[in-house]
Amino acid sequence: MCHHNLADACDGKRTKEEDMTNSNSRSRTVRRARGHVASTLFVLLALASLVCASALTACAGSSSDSSSSASKSASGSSSKKTLVVAMELAYPPFETKTDSGEPDGVSVQFIKDFGEAYGYDVVIQNTAWDGLIPSLVTGQADCVISSMTITDERAQTVDFSEPYAVAQLAILANANSNISSIDDLNQPGKTVAVKTGSTGDTYATNNLTNATIVRLADESACVTEVSQGKADGFLYDQLTIYREQKSNSGTTKAVYIAFQDPEKWGIAVQKGNTELLGQLNEFIETSKTDGEYDKLTDKYLSEEKAAFDELGFKWFFDLS
Amino acid sequence: MTTAKRHSNPFVGDGAGHTSPLKAAINYLLVCLLVIALFWVSLAMLGYTFDFSFVSQYRMRIAQGFLLTIEISAASLVASLALGTLVAAGRGSRILPLRYLCDLYVKLIRGTPLIMQIYLFFYIIGTAWGITDRVVAGILILSTFEAAYIAEIIRGSLLSIDETQRDAARAVGLTHAQTVRLVILPQMVARTLPALTGQFASIIKDSSLLSIIAVIEITQTMREISASNFKLFECYFLLGVLYLALTLPVAAIGRHFERRFDYAH
Repeated sequence: MCHHNLADACDGKRTKEEDMTNSNSRSRTVRRARGHVASTLFVLLALASLVCASALTACAGSSSDSSSSASKSASGSSSKKTLVVAMELAYPPFETKTDSGEPDGVSVQFIKDFGEAYGYDVVIQNTAWDGLIPSLVTGQADCVISSMTITDERAQTVDFSEPYAVAQLAILANANSNISSIDDLNQPGKTVAVKTGSTGDTYATNNLTNATIVRLADESACVTEVSQGKADGFLYDQLTIYREQKSNSGTTKAVYIAFQDPEKWGIAVQKGNTELLGQLNEFIETSKTDGEYDKLTDKYLSEEKAAFDELGFKWFFDLS
Repeated sequence: MTTAKRHSNPFVGDGAGHTSPLKAAINYLLVCLLVIALFWVSLAMLGYTFDFSFVSQYRMRIAQGFLLTIEISAASLVASLALGTLVAAGRGSRILPLRYLCDLYVKLIRGTPLIMQIYLFFYIIGTAWGITDRVVAGILILSTFEAAYIAEIIRGSLLSIDETQRDAARAVGLTHAQTVRLVILPQMVARTLPALTGQFASIIKDSSLLSIIAVIEITQTMREISASNFKLFECYFLLGVLYLALTLPVAAIGRHFERRFDYAH
């Protein structure tokens, strides 16, 4: 099977290999002993065609730079280029889905507006959080906009745009717990729930060394842990904590007292993709003044904006 | 190909034990090389180079996670064997509610995905009944899941023992207890052991899903490490190797049992 597919790939070798397979099947009918030779030959041939395929990829390797950016300048002739955007559609109201399953949210609208402005056909790729950075590294996506905080560790693997939003971590605590600050969480016997790989995870790992840290795959599992009292607190951004506290008001309380510097969210691209990065930075800069951010706030976050103003928190898109 | 005689069909072997060990080894090596080459070529096509330098940094966590996977799997094997045997017996019971309970249990467990069972069991049943320890809860969930499959294995081999054997046993004057001990049980062991070892390999792999309730077994350990160093592929590659280090020996034991109890069939 694999031998034939690969033979198709290397067109030049094809006829020669077919001749050899034909002669194999002929020899099989002659005597049984030869049948074994033939099957060994079959395997050897498959190996040979693999080597041939790897030689092919070596040629392709030199042009891999152009192929990975092919999605950006798709086939040249068509006027619109495709922009593959990876995000985890599990983080309302930033990355989520409509009831009918269409990608929706602040980030989705923001990147679609970017595509509109710069002539891209935006294709949203729903990717689990763990797979976002790897999808950039392997060139499966052109950029990631997924409420991702710019960190030094991440910046070693990918390049980040200028910040497009700022966020603060907050604590969702169990209603019956005595948690009123981050120090109350950092005690022996306290359990802190975090989403694996989130900045809450990083903060807890580095700073809450006295507490037990429970790392979970889903935000909803983290909230469940807190509302059931399995965990004493859940570290996540203010806005999510605000929303989750509202929907679990009987069992949880929110602690907003800031315990770290604001986190800046950026759009990630593959290392060295300066062309796309430049366009993204330009778009973020103009969004501050041309009403793009106001439009997004009105559409998705009007209630939260009112609450944030009342609580005296810095707004997400207040980048000053 | 159409003129080829049946015995020269490359997809029909000559039967067991015909291939010389040397030839088998060479051919196996060849196939292994082929698989490695395919993987290596794919990596080359991506232009990605593996970097395993993180392994020594995290070796303690990896070892602990690996040990916990073994512990959970072993404990689940014992518990699911016990529960599976009871359920298999219950399905043949004359007490109808008991029989239907066991039947429903097998249908529900086998008909739903493990990930759903883990979430519902841990957060609803576990919380309601005060099972807060994640490892204990994990072992209970995994045992409950695997027991349904083990019950089917045991029930299947029990049904495969011909009724005439019981008649024959009675005819030569064996009591019921003697029939079970001397006739039924030896055959049951012979018929279930190979399948049970296969199920043990499944338990080892299925335990990886306990990572979603933050049981820090080897899969969760690798997820945590990859979340901080972004070496997702290296972590999962190593994860595969570690699981193979467990499942391949188990499979070898299964083959040994198969040969050892060949007379049973």
